[in-house]
Amino acid sequence: MAPADRAPVVLRHSRIYILPTRRGFAVIATLLLMLLTSLNYALSLGLAVTFLLGGLVAAALLHTFRNLAGIEVKPLAAGDAFAGDELVFTLSLAAGSLDRRAITIAANRAQTTTSVAAGVLATVPLAVRAERRGRFPLGRVTLSSAYPLALWRGFAYVHFPLTGVVYPAPEPSAPPLPAGDYGVDAQAQGRGDESDLAGLRDYQRGDPLQRVAWKAVARGAGWFSKAFEGTASGGPVTLEWARLPSELDTEARLSRLAAWVLAAERSARPFALSLPGSALPHAVDPEHRRAALTALALFPEKP
Amino acid sequence: MRAAALRLGRWPATLRAPRGIELSQGQIVHLGMLLALAQWPLAPYVPPWIAISGVAFIALRFVFVFRERRRRSPATTPVPAWLLVLAAAALAFLIRRNYGYFVGRDPCVAFLFVLVGIKFLEVRTLRDGTLLVCLAIFLLVTPFFYSQSIAAALFALPAIAAVGAALDALADRDVKATFTSVRRAWRRTFVMIAQGLPIAATLFILFPRLASPLWGLPADRTAASGLSDSMSPGSISELSLSDAVAFRVDFDGAPPPPRLRYWRGPVLSLFNGREWRALSAQPGGRLLQGEAPLVRYSVTLEANDHPWLFALDFPATLPTIDAGGVRGNGGGLAGYSREQQLIMRAPVAQAIRYTLESLLVDEYPIASPREIPQNSRAPPGNPRTRDFVRRLRERNPDDRRFIAAVLRWFHDEPFFYTLAPPLLDEPEPVDMFLFDTRRGFCEHYASAFVVMLRDAGIPARVVTGYQGGEINPRGNYMIVRQSDAHAWAEAVIDGRWHRFDPTAAVAPSRIERGLYGSVPASDPVPLFAREDGSWLKGLQLAVDAINHQWRRHVIEFNRDRQRALWREWKIDAFAPWQMVTAVAAGVVGWALAVLLAFALRRKRRERAIALWDSACRRLARAGLPRLPYEGPLAFCKRAALRWPQFDIALRAIGESFAALRYGTAASRESERVALLATLERAIDALPRAARLRAL
Repeated sequence: MAPADRAPVVLRHSRIYILPTRRGFAVIATLLLMLLTSLNYALSLGLAVTFLLGGLVAAALLHTFRNLAGIEVKPLAAGDAFAGDELVFTLSLAAGSLDRRAITIAANRAQTTTSVAAGVLATVPLAVRAERRGRFPLGRVTLSSAYPLALWRGFAYVHFPLTGVVYPAPEPSAPPLPAGDYGVDAQAQGRGDESDLAGLRDYQRGDPLQRVAWKAVARGAGWFSKAFEGTASGGPVTLEWARLPSELDTEARLSRLAAWVLAAERSARPFALSLPGSALPHAVDPEHRRAALTALALFPEKP
Repeated sequence: MRAAALRLGRWPATLRAPRGIELSQGQIVHLGMLLALAQWPLAPYVPPWIAISGVAFIALRFVFVFRERRRRSPATTPVPAWLLVLAAAALAFLIRRNYGYFVGRDPCVAFLFVLVGIKFLEVRTLRDGTLLVCLAIFLLVTPFFYSQSIAAALFALPAIAAVGAALDALADRDVKATFTSVRRAWRRTFVMIAQGLPIAATLFILFPRLASPLWGLPADRTAASGLSDSMSPGSISELSLSDAVAFRVDFDGAPPPPRLRYWRGPVLSLFNGREWRALSAQPGGRLLQGEAPLVRYSVTLEANDHPWLFALDFPATLPTIDAGGVRGNGGGLAGYSREQQLIMRAPVAQAIRYTLESLLVDEYPIASPREIPQNSRAPPGNPRTRDFVRRLRERNPDDRRFIAAVLRWFHDEPFFYTLAPPLLDEPEPVDMFLFDTRRGFCEHYASAFVVMLRDAGIPARVVTGYQGGEINPRGNYMIVRQSDAHAWAEAVIDGRWHRFDPTAAVAPSRIERGLYGSVPASDPVPLFAREDGSWLKGLQLAVDAINHQWRRHVIEFNRDRQRALWREWKIDAFAPWQMVTAVAAGVVGWALAVLLAFALRRKRRERAIALWDSACRRLARAGLPRLPYEGPLAFCKRAALRWPQFDIALRAIGESFAALRYGTAASRESERVALLATLERAIDALPRAARLRAL
């Protein structure tokens, strides 16, 4: 994505709209009723109280505006996720020279509320439920706040060209990985399962994160990776679209391939992916995994 | 009903309103504070049992909340909904019984008072909270039905602050109900109210008032003390025990002397031997024209719940009435009855102000020949009086001379003027008073005098009203109190009504110096009717003067006063579109001014940031921009490596700024000032960017 697309947006008065909340409407209606009563009974003090509270409501509007005006929003990153999981977009909010309170950031039916102290740059993750594989644009972001008094809601729309990738949901109980390229025995990867923990070994750069013994890290004992039986015995494997059973439709095939990519990754076996129209060579690292899953995610519906 | 039950009750989960976001305990406490503060200015004006039950419901919920808090259990609504609905219905019934009607201002106010309590006892969701806030806001105007004094205005202020705090609390589920959080919320609210003040003041001045009320609720009864349309022994002396203000008068020019201050009220012609009653009011009063001195004055009359206005004897013009505080449509018209009493169409339910002129005379022509028979009938009985009058009349066949003889007799015989006369429960009360007890108050003298005149064949009647009044030197207006209530007499001589005051014959000082100078010292004269210059009375006069101004400029700022002000300020010369444009411009100007004030305050508060920014800009221009991830300490260290000759100044900048922004010392004002000074001096010690770059 071009850097220009990621330019920060500063909320100015031309972007900020303010409307009464339901509570605001209720309070304004009550004030109107008080106005009528005071007028009818010629209660000067009743009018004074009504107008004082009216001034309060009007001042609340300015405070609502001021709470939003001058915030700088910047798109940081779009995450990736499997269909059915949550896709996380990350934005940053720079408060500027004011404390910003109860700012709600909403997009795509996901929303989160945060307060940002003056001078602070806050990172706001926005978790959106991803339903279907493919590209997932963030769409219109709404920043809103009803602070203070929740009588008015100020809001501003911001568009960022952030797009996440949704991978196909892995098939829940996929068959085991196909046989290795060098005829590796099937039982090896049958045992390459997390139930067969062999022990811990020192963490080395490149070890998959799933293998890290997080409990030990949390205890402060140092970084270790879990070693599994058969891990070492897995050889390279090629995951081929064409070799899948012909009764499976496109989505089922993609789901199975996704499950296999994960299985290969888990057992640290280099894998290659061949799809109609594209192919990835053998490798095993997070980048390769992402490339493979992205290829599956963006696979056209009708090949 | 179902909707009401849904709101009031704790229904099974399937039936509950889906949007019910539950309130936290902190939010409930804030709501309760708002309700309690909104209730208490009203409490004196509802029946005591209503006041107690309304407050008790709120207290009960507080008890539940504090119990839950001690047990750390979540907020619940422990009283079943059906019980609360039942309680509301029962209270509505009792209120109906208490007032005798329900659809009226007072019973509705009383019901609202308890209803907020009942609703609070079961408040559960955010939506309930909004409803309660709205009810509480409305409750804020209701005390003004009964009193618009300065005190009433002050009592409303805490509740206004609590409105802001409660709204704040509803917006924040995690709100704490601590002293600090409440104080902070109150302060924020007062800031917002202060910012809204220009809007409020403009609305108060410009918002058009109604010329006549839009609706009038069925008769609301108020128990105002004051004169009534009947008089029996003891009724006026009872009134004389009251310090309450009946009305206040502003005179154009000098007020008349005390002996001419007769404020005419109900005129009583019917006598049954014990009690005087008024005839039903007939139109036909007339305005007096003449040579006598004319006074012009404005009376601010307190509510008396009767359609009576008081005028100095004898009115020469119809009054101009200022106020819209008259109940019912078409109110505001007043006229004179045949007895020359100033009467309105509707009872005076609120203080009103009117202006008129009077001629200071003590006689005027009769309005109709029918007045003579109506005022000639002597009651039966009282043989001793009859006998005495017959003998006196024989010696004085002339009406004037007869009346003078009666007055002289009152003056010469040992009659006493006292607030505490003996009871006259004989079958012949006039006989007993004139020949046995001879102690009485003005109503005794007026009544006996009129009976004697009627026995002698002279048409006469009793006039009640107020006599006298005290000039408040602070403010230069006159206060007439209930203790100035008085009764005197009128008699027809040669086709004209003449005023006679038998009390003046007995106790001339009553007319010249008021009640206190004329009754025995042991009588229970109310404090403010006393003449002595005690500091308490001085204080009271000062307070009354403030109240009078408050009344004139705030409470009685009605349609006429508003129009007058507009004329004075030349506002009414504007066309409507000009008005709308001006108001719109005013609102925009106000918004900009408030936002500007925010900005200025921020600048002042964030002087540290401004100084730091200037230092950073200078170093950047000198070729060393701060990296985005660099904190003040790290940046200044790097700069000190680049310009080692300014090592001390650069480090001081970094350290003092870091201490100001992130340190704990900066919370003390003195430390802050010292750190700011250090920062400023250190920046001053740096040379300009161009020189730095060259180094």
